[in-house]
Amino acid sequence: MHVVIINGSPRVKQYSNTDKILKKFTEGLTENGTTFEQYEVSDRKQWDSIRGAYNNNKNILIAIPLYVENIPGLLLEFLETLAPKNDGTKLSFILQGGFAEGSQLRCGEAYLEILAKELGCEYGGTLVKGDNFSIRFTKDETRERITSRYREMGREFAAQGNFKSEACRKFTGPETFPLKIRIMVGMVFATVARKSFKKIAAGLGCTKPLGYRPYK
Amino acid sequence: MILLVNTTSDTSVSEEIKRLAKEAGKDIKVIEVADKKIGNCIGCNYCWLKTPGECTVKDDYEEIFKEIIHAKELWVISDTALGFLNHKGKNFFDRILPIATMNLKFKGKEMRHVARYRNTPNVGIIYKGEADGAYLNRWTKRCAINFESKSLGAHSSNNIKEAVACM
Repeated sequence: MHVVIINGSPRVKQYSNTDKILKKFTEGLTENGTTFEQYEVSDRKQWDSIRGAYNNNKNILIAIPLYVENIPGLLLEFLETLAPKNDGTKLSFILQGGFAEGSQLRCGEAYLEILAKELGCEYGGTLVKGDNFSIRFTKDETRERITSRYREMGREFAAQGNFKSEACRKFTGPETFPLKIRIMVGMVFATVARKSFKKIAAGLGCTKPLGYRPYK
Repeated sequence: MILLVNTTSDTSVSEEIKRLAKEAGKDIKVIEVADKKIGNCIGCNYCWLKTPGECTVKDDYEEIFKEIIHAKELWVISDTALGFLNHKGKNFFDRILPIATMNLKFKGKEMRHVARYRNTPNVGIIYKGEADGAYLNRWTKRCAINFESKSLGAHSSNNIKEAVACM
C-alpha cells in the first residue's frame, strides 16, 4: 500500500503538532512495507504537488488540527481547488485537538464524512484524539510519551486500510470526564496549569498577564 | 449593537438585511469585507501566549475585532464550499481566537477557554449557496459554546426574513 499524507495544519512544519504526530504514525505505518509521501498545506509552494498527488493516488490521508470546531481555513482554501474524484479513491483523516475529551472533536469529525462525499471519495474513517496542545512545548521523553501512541495506530492503518476498527475507536479515550475528575482537573487548571502557561508565555517573551485586554 | 459582517462580494444580501433590521427597529452595523485583507489563522498561539489578546497577523481583521468585542450579536454572511462555509467565512471565525484566553475551566461536562472580555456576542450565520444546513446549525451551536454565548442559527440567504426574525 502507498499512502499520500497531507498535513493540513497552517502552522509551519517546525512547530506543527500534527507533524510530530505524523512522525510517530508513519513509523508504525511503514513497519511492514507500506510506503508514503507527505505534504504540508502550510507551504503554499507545495500546493501544485499536493494536487498532483491527490489526483494520481487512491489512498489519501489528511491529518488535521481542529480549528474552531472544523478544519482550518487555510486547508479549506486548498481543498476548494480540488475536483471531486469519483474513482474509488479512499479518503481517511487524523483529527487532533487540544482539549482532551473526545466530545470536543465530534463536530469536526462529522464534517469530514461530508467532506469525503463532496470530494467524491470513499470515507475511510477518522482517527480522533485530543490532548495534544502541549506537543510543541515539550521535548524528549514528554514529547515521546504524548506522540508515541500514534505509532500503534500507524500499524493499525497499514493492516486495516482505514480507521474503522474498534482499536481506532478506543484510541480517542473518554468522551467526557466523570465529575470527580472534572473537579480535580478543574483545580489543577486553576493552579498548576495557570503557572505552567505563564511559564511557557514568559519563555516566548510575553510581558503581559494572559487575560490582558488590548482593546477597550 | 448587532454586527453584520459580509465576507461575500455580493452586497445585496447585507443591504436587504440592513433594511429589514432597521425597519424592525434594530441597531445594526454592517461591515463589508470583500475588499479587505483578512488572512488565515496561522496557528501560532501568540494571541494566547506571547501577546495576549493580540493577533500576529497584521491586516484588516483587527479593526473588525474591535467591533466584535462590543457587539451583542455577531452575524456573518459567507459563501459556501464543500458543504460548509467557504474559506473566507471560516478564516473569519479562525481569526476570532484572541477573544478567548489560554486559561481553562470546566463548563458543564467540557473544558472551555476562559473568555477575555466581559461581553460575549451571540453568533449567527447566513450562508449563500449550497451547504449542509443541519451541519451548519450544529457547527454554529458549537462555536457559540466556545464564545460562551448562544447560537442564533445558520440561515440560508434565500431566507433572509428568518435570519432577521432571530436578531
